Amino acid sequence: MNTTYLPSDFLPIVVQLGLALAFIVGTMIVTHLIGPSRKSSLKDDPFECGIEVKGNARTPISVKYFLVAILFVLFDVEVIFMYPWAVNFRQLGMLGFIEMLLFMALLLAGFYYIIRKGVLKWEE
Amino acid sequence: MYPIILLSVLGIVVLFLGFMKSKNILLPATLLFLALALGSNFIDWNQGPLLYFYGMFSVTNLTLAFNAIVLISAFLIVAMTRGFQDDEEAQPAEYYGIMLFSLVGAIMIIGYEHLIIFFVGIEILSVAMYILTGSDKRNLRSNEASLKYFLMGAFATGIMLFGIALLYGATGAFSLTGIRGFVSTAAGAQSYILYAGLLLLLIGMLFKVSAAPFHFWTPDVYDGAPSIFTTFMSTIVKTAGFAAIFRLLSHSFAGIYDFWYITLAVITVLTLFVGNVVAVYQDSFKRMMAYSSISHAGYLLIALTALTAQTERSILFYSMAYSVATISAFGVLMLIAKEKSLDGRPNESYDAFNGLAKQNPLLAFVLTVSMLSLAGIPLTAGFWGKFFVFSSAADRGLIWMLVVAVLMSAVGIYYYFRVVIASYMKEGNTGKIRVAPFYQIVLVAATVITILFGLAPGFFEQLL
Amino acid sequence: MSASLLILIPLLPLIGFLINGIGFRRVPKGAVGVIGSLAALGSFAVSVAVLSAFKAAGSEPQVVSLFDWITVGNLNIPFSFQIDQLSLLMLMIVTGVGSLIHIYSIGYMKHDEGFGKFFAFLNLFLFFMLLLVMGSNYVIMFIGWEGVGLCSYLLIGFWNTNTNYNNAARKAFIMNRIGDLGFLLGIFTIIATFGSVEYTEVFSQATGLSIGDPVVVTITLLLFVGAMGKSAQIPLFTWLPDAMAGPTPVSALIHAATMVTAGIYMVIRSNVLYSLAPFTLEVISIVGIATVLLAASIGLLQNDIKKVLAYSTVSQLGYMFVALGVMAYSASMFHVITHAFFKALLFLGAGSVIHAMSDEQDIRSMGGLRKKLPITFLTFLIGTIAIAGIPPFAGFFSKDEILAHAYEHNKLLWALGVLGSLMTSFYMFRLLFLTFFGQFRGTHEQEHHLHESPAAMTIPLVILAIFSAVGGFMGVPEALGGTHQLAEFMSPLYEGARQVNPEAFAATTLSHSEEFMLMGISVAAALIAAIAAYVMYVSRNSVPAPDTAERSSLERLVYNKYYVDELYNGVFVKPIAGLSNLLYSFGEFFIDLIVLGTGRLVKGVSGQLRQTQTGSVGYYIFAMVVGIVAILFWNLLIR
Repeated sequence: MNTTYLPSDFLPIVVQLGLALAFIVGTMIVTHLIGPSRKSSLKDDPFECGIEVKGNARTPISVKYFLVAILFVLFDVEVIFMYPWAVNFRQLGMLGFIEMLLFMALLLAGFYYIIRKGVLKWEE
Repeated sequence: MYPIILLSVLGIVVLFLGFMKSKNILLPATLLFLALALGSNFIDWNQGPLLYFYGMFSVTNLTLAFNAIVLISAFLIVAMTRGFQDDEEAQPAEYYGIMLFSLVGAIMIIGYEHLIIFFVGIEILSVAMYILTGSDKRNLRSNEASLKYFLMGAFATGIMLFGIALLYGATGAFSLTGIRGFVSTAAGAQSYILYAGLLLLLIGMLFKVSAAPFHFWTPDVYDGAPSIFTTFMSTIVKTAGFAAIFRLLSHSFAGIYDFWYITLAVITVLTLFVGNVVAVYQDSFKRMMAYSSISHAGYLLIALTALTAQTERSILFYSMAYSVATISAFGVLMLIAKEKSLDGRPNESYDAFNGLAKQNPLLAFVLTVSMLSLAGIPLTAGFWGKFFVFSSAADRGLIWMLVVAVLMSAVGIYYYFRVVIASYMKEGNTGKIRVAPFYQIVLVAATVITILFGLAPGFFEQLL
Repeated sequence: MSASLLILIPLLPLIGFLINGIGFRRVPKGAVGVIGSLAALGSFAVSVAVLSAFKAAGSEPQVVSLFDWITVGNLNIPFSFQIDQLSLLMLMIVTGVGSLIHIYSIGYMKHDEGFGKFFAFLNLFLFFMLLLVMGSNYVIMFIGWEGVGLCSYLLIGFWNTNTNYNNAARKAFIMNRIGDLGFLLGIFTIIATFGSVEYTEVFSQATGLSIGDPVVVTITLLLFVGAMGKSAQIPLFTWLPDAMAGPTPVSALIHAATMVTAGIYMVIRSNVLYSLAPFTLEVISIVGIATVLLAASIGLLQNDIKKVLAYSTVSQLGYMFVALGVMAYSASMFHVITHAFFKALLFLGAGSVIHAMSDEQDIRSMGGLRKKLPITFLTFLIGTIAIAGIPPFAGFFSKDEILAHAYEHNKLLWALGVLGSLMTSFYMFRLLFLTFFGQFRGTHEQEHHLHESPAAMTIPLVILAIFSAVGGFMGVPEALGGTHQLAEFMSPLYEGARQVNPEAFAATTLSHSEEFMLMGISVAAALIAAIAAYVMYVSRNSVPAPDTAERSSLERLVYNKYYVDELYNGVFVKPIAGLSNLLYSFGEFFIDLIVLGTGRLVKGVSGQLRQTQTGSVGYYIFAMVVGIVAILFWNLLIR
């Protein structure tokens, strides 16, 4: 593999970057110029699927939402480790299998812990 | 290596022990687990330099000694946590579990051979600390400290990660040996990407050990966190952090000493200055201890800046002396603060110590020994810590730095003695203070270690 | 000489400390004093035994290694004692005078609540002082050095209910620390230069250096800074007069006889190094003579009996440094010894007076005490004559030897020295006359209470008085037909120094007639001053004006101790405090905001607050970024 690059080798990247920026800036300017600009109280209202806005957006949300979200991310990401393992299943052999079992056991221990802690009990 | 595995598993066990009806088993179990980890630590003793985990983790007698200091400190600190379970809202199992997990991180950064292991280790340690800092859930200052620590810690982590990435970019290696190999080549000694990477990584690490000008989080966080976790942070994180910085500099970057030592020297002097001078004007003992911990980071940095053959031992001895003295100081503080609480909040000002000698002579004595040790008065372990550190600086010929350090240690006397004066020479109320026997054993043990190594520092060398 | 015998010397006081310290309030009061004094007497007895064994064995210096202490790299520091002429002399002073003062304290401190604590501290002090003089390397000396400082701190603040006393203690400690820093840096420079801290090793290597080597000059100057702190020389002298806040036996033992002479001990110990550094010697003699004059002139107008003695101590220490500066090491040691006798005597005498006067220290309220306190008066008289330098008492011989050496070195130095001795004689006789002669000026109650002190106090006085009277005969100059036994005894100490700087130890060039002239002048000066004092305070019966009286500006300057304390306050304390304040507010401003904000949050006000909080973390991170940018900028672009 070629490991030495000259600065000129990076030229395509610069070109692409320039094009991307130009497109964004260009469309912003163009829409601003050609679009009509009208103001009314109705139009400046936040649009939420046609339903009228009620109350403050910053109402407290139950911590359970966050917990579930975080737990979801956690288990979701951990499962990603299964993919490379599955691809290399044969090469890793028995040792790899045991290691993955251990990994899963730890995850399950965490899962059990969550349940015992009552994190998933929604009503409380 | 063994303590890493053992502590990870036992940490989970502690979490599950928390489901039992009686919380009383948690403390003895945690202590037992720590003792087990300490024992397992010595399986590799005298086995020569070993590499584990595909060469990503190294074990030598000196890293084992650092592990031992960390584990013993943790043992002493955990032993002082009696009363955790009295609070209904508190979740002692979680705190004990997190403490065990954080030790895994500490041990990983003591013996890393690979920067990824270092990064994972320091994250385990830091995240655990963010949580423990905020563990006093109903105290806003604790919450605030935790959030602040987290925000700044995340920033520092970013810087550190950037540094690691640049190092990899420059050298094509994550392992310390690989980096050293590159540094020893002619091109490596001149590489600006390497320089930038080293500096950024170093800055991230210095943040963790609260060196100036990256110390701003320390007073707030130490002050806001519950005292027991402040103790944990100021001993274990500091010991492990310095072991890690030393490892990086001595194993990989000794070849370009001339490049980095000036930067480190300036930071050292700044740290010493800020820590000691600002500590003078504190009215809260706990806050003073936070600044004192900054100043001790400065002394340890002297040893790093000198980087002689003796540096690792100096750091080891210094960390030991500092940890033990800090533990007994905070131990006394926790008792006093609780005893003299104002409006339900612990009283951590100097005034709380007034007349301590009359109320409980043992506590006053323990406090005095620990203050003497922190101030570096002879016949305490702290004196020899300073002596070793200073003599390594003298070896390098860093006399100007020595002058600053010695001057600053004189400033230190002032604020360390303030609490001694308060406890012996000021009048306070005269009610006796009772100390639980277990607590008393910890305090006495810490004091005995301080005096023992103060009388015979050679004994410590023989242990290695 | 067996190691077990030697180790007993410091060990006995340590045991005494442990018994009295741990058993404080449990050991019966009668036993406390006995245990403390026995510990001191025991180590005195052992010291005598060691001295005779040393002489019997042919006066060969010996290093007795007890155990290997620490090894740092190539630096090996054993825990060992060095027994030679110098350490033996110091041992005799420390244990001898120390024992007497212990016995005296039994009587003096009898009514004090902290009797046991007092003896424990006193024994601990002895332990550290013995370590200081017996250690065979600079590290042990430093440990003793710090230890005596700590004990002096504890003992000055002994009557700790009084805030002033605490401040005095803290002042003493901090001033000593400033000196100690110099000492510590000196030790590290020694380590860096010689790779060892053992005296024998360092000095044998030092003989290979040339005179005026900058490294040696640096080392000696740094060590001298340490000596200035401990031995109260300009500019670090103001702590000693304040240290008089402690109990009087402490002033006698620590602040007159032993601890303050540690600086002189250290210089004599390092005589090889000092002989190599003429510049340092010059500095020492200038500082010494300046201290002599300044302290003596302050002493002229002080009215507190202990303050007069304190300034007199400072000025006598100045003489010792003058001697060191002209490389008259033996003469300096001689003065250390005689000074230990007569100054301990004077302090104990003053203690006896204070005891009798129910803790009154102002000499304006005394007078006519000689009838009520005959023993105290007689011994105090002997002490006064000795310090004034009137033959044949001890002070005459030692001070005269110093002045003769100074004369040989530099005539001006000698003239200033004689001026100092004139003032010494005046303020000492002034003190004597105001205290013991004339009419009693105190209250009726005090007069009624006047009594001679108990035997435990007077016996040490008498013993010290005898030594003050005859102690000088250990060093009679040749001109008077005697032999200088002390100088002969000490001469093996200077072999190394003689090797590197032979001229300094050449035989004196003064003829006998010159020496007689010098003696005559200084004795005449002392006598004139004594007579002047007599005329002023006995014949004319004048009493110093009270504090509030009008004084001429020069008098005011002297009375207020040249405003040295105020100067310190202005030059050092305030700027440092200001700087600290500045740094403090720099970080604390934001912290205050947060703390305040948290308080408001508790009350339920939140809107504004979040901004300040994010603002402050932002500030922290901003500071970090500035640091990072500065580091990167400097390292990558500027270099």
